[in-house]
Amino acid sequence: MTGGFAAVEAKELRKAFGPIRAVDGIDLSLSPGRIYGLLGPNGSGKTTLIRLLTGLAKATSGSAEILGTPMPNRSALARIGYMPQSEAIYPELSVAENIRFFATLQDTRDRDSIDRTLELVELSDRKSSPALTLSGGMRRRLSLACSLVHDPPVLFLDEPTVGVDPALRVQFWSHFRRLADAGTTIFVASHVMDEADRCDDLLFIRSGKLIARGTGGELRSQAGTDNLETAFLKFAGLDAAGQPIEPTGSVQ
Amino acid sequence: MNIRRVFAVARRIAEGFRRDERSLGLLFAAPLLVTLLLGWVIRDSSLGDVNLVVAGAPDQLVTALKDAAADSSDKATVSVSTLADQAAVERAIRDGDADVGLVVEGSVPTIQIAVVTEGTDPANEAGQFGVVQALLAKSVGALVPVPGFSLPEVRRETVYLSPDANQLDVLAPVFLGIFAYFFVFILTGISFLRERVGGTLERLLATPVTRGEIVLGYSLGFGFFATLQVLVLTLFVFGNLDIPAIGPIPAFTIGLNVQTVGSPAVAFLVAVLLAIGAVNLGIFLSTFARTELQILQFIPIVIVPQILLGGVLWPVERLPDVLRTIGQVLPVTYAVDALREVMLKGADLTSTVVQTDLGVLVGVAVVFVGLAAGTIKREVA
Repeated sequence: MTGGFAAVEAKELRKAFGPIRAVDGIDLSLSPGRIYGLLGPNGSGKTTLIRLLTGLAKATSGSAEILGTPMPNRSALARIGYMPQSEAIYPELSVAENIRFFATLQDTRDRDSIDRTLELVELSDRKSSPALTLSGGMRRRLSLACSLVHDPPVLFLDEPTVGVDPALRVQFWSHFRRLADAGTTIFVASHVMDEADRCDDLLFIRSGKLIARGTGGELRSQAGTDNLETAFLKFAGLDAAGQPIEPTGSVQ
Repeated sequence: MNIRRVFAVARRIAEGFRRDERSLGLLFAAPLLVTLLLGWVIRDSSLGDVNLVVAGAPDQLVTALKDAAADSSDKATVSVSTLADQAAVERAIRDGDADVGLVVEGSVPTIQIAVVTEGTDPANEAGQFGVVQALLAKSVGALVPVPGFSLPEVRRETVYLSPDANQLDVLAPVFLGIFAYFFVFILTGISFLRERVGGTLERLLATPVTRGEIVLGYSLGFGFFATLQVLVLTLFVFGNLDIPAIGPIPAFTIGLNVQTVGSPAVAFLVAVLLAIGAVNLGIFLSTFARTELQILQFIPIVIVPQILLGGVLWPVERLPDVLRTIGQVLPVTYAVDALREVMLKGADLTSTVVQTDLGVLVGVAVVFVGLAAGTIKREVA
């Protein structure tokens, strides 16, 4: 940990939907200025974990804190940026109107921040275009811009690069790196393993539980493989075909 | 409550509308078109030519009927001819040669008159019956064998609107409220469903905005358009602007010039209150829909019963007991009552009836605001 306190902290965080334990006793502590990758298959609890940390869902038990503030807490939301999995923009509004709307809700009074964010996502020349006329990649960039416009110290990105072409994906990750270098804590949920090496730290999640954590290199060497996908399967107790094998023991 | 955020939500709705010509059309052109058609049909439809056949009547009555028919300034043109007996009259009606028959039996003083119609179109035949009754009122005096005798003339007088007021004068004020209710409900329902399905609601809830600010912003945004709609419709319904002939375009009139004795400002207030209820009903019911089509499926469940039972087409008091009870809990009932009290009877805000109606509408709006806010779930606020 680099700072005095964790940017994001969770203790024994649990969320159950009836008999399904979507998040099952997660502990984590994320330091400021780093990019964390939450990796796991679909349905492993990534989105639920983000919703618990942002206060969009209430934990069945356990606690979560953002920048030292226990969640859920409404005023703490001003210091969070959240990019949902869906585009979550208003197609009938222009690019600038979308960004301005979310900036106002976040109480951002800095007018330059809209222009700065437009430049960051390279949409300055389309600022007056209705969002519905944008390409899919541009809409993802707009969605990212809406999460960034208030310069939040903590950023949650739920599958930010889904449907994004490789060139734009590179741009996104260079944005994330610049933000992290400026002190932003970034928590990226993804099921795309080949993006994992762009993160400073990785958290493997399966069935609502964190099954491993560490840098990409650490996880590979722990699993004795140079492939993260194979490492994930090993930590999950699965063979190469995704079938259960004898557990390898705790990896925490 | 942060007013800046409330206005941001309202402004977002207005900015969205600006680029959505179809919704704008639905909001403004559709009510005008429907009201125009309704006004046209009610005002200018006529019974057409009425072929009246008479059997068994003395000559002086037939002559008097023909004179009265010739003088008649009614919308219907009546032609009078004679036939031998009732059987001939019925045959003529069956064959389509006559519309109404008048069969006279006996003689003064025990004279009896039967009016025969086809019996397949109650509304139209009631109109024809009325025409024949008016002719009879003018001509039966001819049966009295006293020279110079005429029946006393019956003049119709009314307390509120003028005697020549028609169904349009009674329906149009109510339509101000109904249209606002209907269109605002549909537009809000769909708009909020898009928020839920498109993920923007989730993103909204990950900002410091409160549920109250969202609901208030929506009420303000859609309330603004509902207000404009009611304003345009009010001007159209009560207005009467004569446009002179310009070049090849003949002179015409804009506005229905519907009779009113009340204050359009109070009617306006009623319609806007009803619309605010509709905004929040739309938000609430959007929870129970997954697609835009499902929002439209609420029309026969939520809107149509209110029009049938809310006193729009017939008075709530005349409904069967069970339906009357249902009618009395529908918000539209109170808006309809208030609009009629104001526009037809000239009641103002000092009237206890209007005050009660407005009180109920405010209460309904508050309940719907609560329900709407309750469906916007976040664990934070």
